[in-house]
Amino acid sequence: MSGRHTTLHPCIDRRTLFLAAGAGALATACGTAAGQPPGKVAVHGDNPAWAVPLTAAGKAMRSVAGIRLVPEVIPSLDSFEQIVKSSLRTNKTPDMLKYWSGYRLQDLARTGGIVDLTDHWESAAGKGWVDTSLRNAFTYQGRVYGLPMNLAYWVFFYNPEVFTANGLRKPGTWEDFLAACERLKSAGITPLHGTADGRWPSFIWFQEILSRQDPQFYEDLMNGRERYTDPRTERAMRTIASFFDKDWFTPMDMNHNDAAAGVVHGKIGMVPCGTWLGSTLVAAGGRPGKNLDAFVLPMQNTKARPSMIFESSALVCTVKGPDRTEAYKAAGAWMNPKVMQAFSHSLQDGCPNPQVPPASVMIDGIVRKARDDKLWMLNRFWEQGPPELVEATVDDLAGFLLNPSSYRTVLHTMQDRADEAWKVWREAEQA
Amino acid sequence: MTDMVTTAKPVRTRRRIPTRTPHQAVHHASVAGRRGGPLASLTWALPALLFVGVLLVYPFFRSVYGSFFEDNGFTSRFTGLDNYTRLAEDPVFGRSLLNTVMWVAGTLLLPVVAGLAIAVATFRMRLGWLAQLVIVLPYAISGAATAVLWKFMLTSDGAVNEVLRAIGLDGLATSWLLEWPQNTISMIIASTWQAAGLNVVLFTIGLRAIPREITEAAELDGATGWRMFRHITLPQLRAMTVVVVGMAIVNSLKAFDMIWILTQGGPSRSSETLALTMYRETFRLFHVGYGSAIALVLSVIVVASSWVYLRRQMPEATGSQ
Repeated sequence: MSGRHTTLHPCIDRRTLFLAAGAGALATACGTAAGQPPGKVAVHGDNPAWAVPLTAAGKAMRSVAGIRLVPEVIPSLDSFEQIVKSSLRTNKTPDMLKYWSGYRLQDLARTGGIVDLTDHWESAAGKGWVDTSLRNAFTYQGRVYGLPMNLAYWVFFYNPEVFTANGLRKPGTWEDFLAACERLKSAGITPLHGTADGRWPSFIWFQEILSRQDPQFYEDLMNGRERYTDPRTERAMRTIASFFDKDWFTPMDMNHNDAAAGVVHGKIGMVPCGTWLGSTLVAAGGRPGKNLDAFVLPMQNTKARPSMIFESSALVCTVKGPDRTEAYKAAGAWMNPKVMQAFSHSLQDGCPNPQVPPASVMIDGIVRKARDDKLWMLNRFWEQGPPELVEATVDDLAGFLLNPSSYRTVLHTMQDRADEAWKVWREAEQA
Repeated sequence: MTDMVTTAKPVRTRRRIPTRTPHQAVHHASVAGRRGGPLASLTWALPALLFVGVLLVYPFFRSVYGSFFEDNGFTSRFTGLDNYTRLAEDPVFGRSLLNTVMWVAGTLLLPVVAGLAIAVATFRMRLGWLAQLVIVLPYAISGAATAVLWKFMLTSDGAVNEVLRAIGLDGLATSWLLEWPQNTISMIIASTWQAAGLNVVLFTIGLRAIPREITEAAELDGATGWRMFRHITLPQLRAMTVVVVGMAIVNSLKAFDMIWILTQGGPSRSSETLALTMYRETFRLFHVGYGSAIALVLSVIVVASSWVYLRRQMPEATGSQ
């Protein structure tokens, strides 16, 4: 996500960029060591595109809680993580962070450097201000350590005009999806975007296919309860390999910006990604409802519980931040519908507060689908499992995407890594 | 003085030879003790020593110390030589080492040879300065900008493949950055495009420094073309070659920005060099101890190769000591 966003959102407009740069520069000038003046709290993140939404949320928060949020952007995933991890034990650490959910948040929580926000969560849940099914993604040892900031749904973007011109409709079943790929291929359009560019996107197809074949197995595998060498994982890899055999994929070094333009201009059929890619598609000329729409990949295994991948960033308070009291108070106001609406509508993405109206027609359609079909929301691959395991396995999956016939070797390598990483993780838990 | 100049016959003035009395010598010695003695000079060297100590020596020994620990940035545990044992068994480290060797060989072969060839070819050419200027221009571009430019060219749908397809060479169009070893080779070529310019400048300076008499004498003896280059020009450029090759070795061992922007060491860590592996292990995976071990190996390689090279190339300098 975030760092991911950094690489995936260069298509933000000039004004946004200037505002983000200005906010970043101002925030940097203010510094973190001395904290912010009373009534202001800094939120550190790695994504320049989030500076404007955070400012909008800050304005709304001022009317709700009398505290203004000040975005501070460290526009590099690596630098951001280094600063967070190296400063967490000092009193120079940022007051609030935009961090990842899942195991990355747990990794941070077990350092003892971030604040238990269970009270805020329960207060919000009591008012119906948070989707309680997300709780597990923000929990460590039964306590909540982060509040959801956004709720990105992992969908397939497509161009309805191109689909209509080729006699296709939004795929409602797995067979529809395969038929659409066949039809687009025969029409000279590359049906699917796949990429290893930037490393992390290598997991996209793995998580999408596996979760549509056996969501329970995906959840168990991601939590170290199943093995990568299982026949069910092999089946998912073979399915992806069959798409390669049919030549359905783009070159594996095509980034998401180019893919977004490809969908809008009718060169690429479908792009799987989080709903946060919507702003990039719009910047490339996409008009939601006309030449841009999205669908949730149908279940291949219709007997399994229908599922969808989600992604949600965590708002975190640090224990030693200079403005920690105000930061905690600000966190208490974060889930307020006014604050959440200002944030999600500015970001144009999904919202974890069910009382906030969807930011766009496209998001509205996905939210309805998730609600009507009672989709099981599964956290993204990137947030699942010990971070060092995920960092290593995305490289393994990249190897598979470049040589699909190597899937057995790749899965064995992944399992070896998983054995070691889970052992270390569990030892650390016991310690 | 004026009188001396105007007199017809030069007047020989007696030169005064400074002498020191024992008393003066003692006095000067005490001044020297205050300002110029061995201990006093330490005061002046202290800032430099402090900088080198804090920024170079301490981090080096801290890294050596850290390499004996398993350290995730929060907790650390002494593991002795385990990190070095892991290095020997890690296939990623092996690939990194191989890529690093490729970078050293490629950087020695391509930018140095190309720089020398272009400098010699354009040295006395009409409008040669213009050709040199064009070749030097990429050096003025930052490494990151160069990498972005080459990424645009080398992706599967990039400019290089588009050109190849346009001229009917579809068979040569390939995924330049996706497969090993062509991703490493492609990046070495991209780096050559940028680095060759500086080498052209340095070799041109070397060519200008060759005394004209030597080349004229060689010409009178019938030396032209390759013989002139082989027996006259090249030996005369030796000092400059030592500098250029030395710089090439160090630059190739610390290659980072080009690789980071073009492939991030991927796909599947196939294009990592030791510098990238060290960075990824330390700052992405937070294997601080393991990263320190890689840093130490890299440091040993850099220092050893530079030392061996300079010792071989400048024996007279070491001999005079």
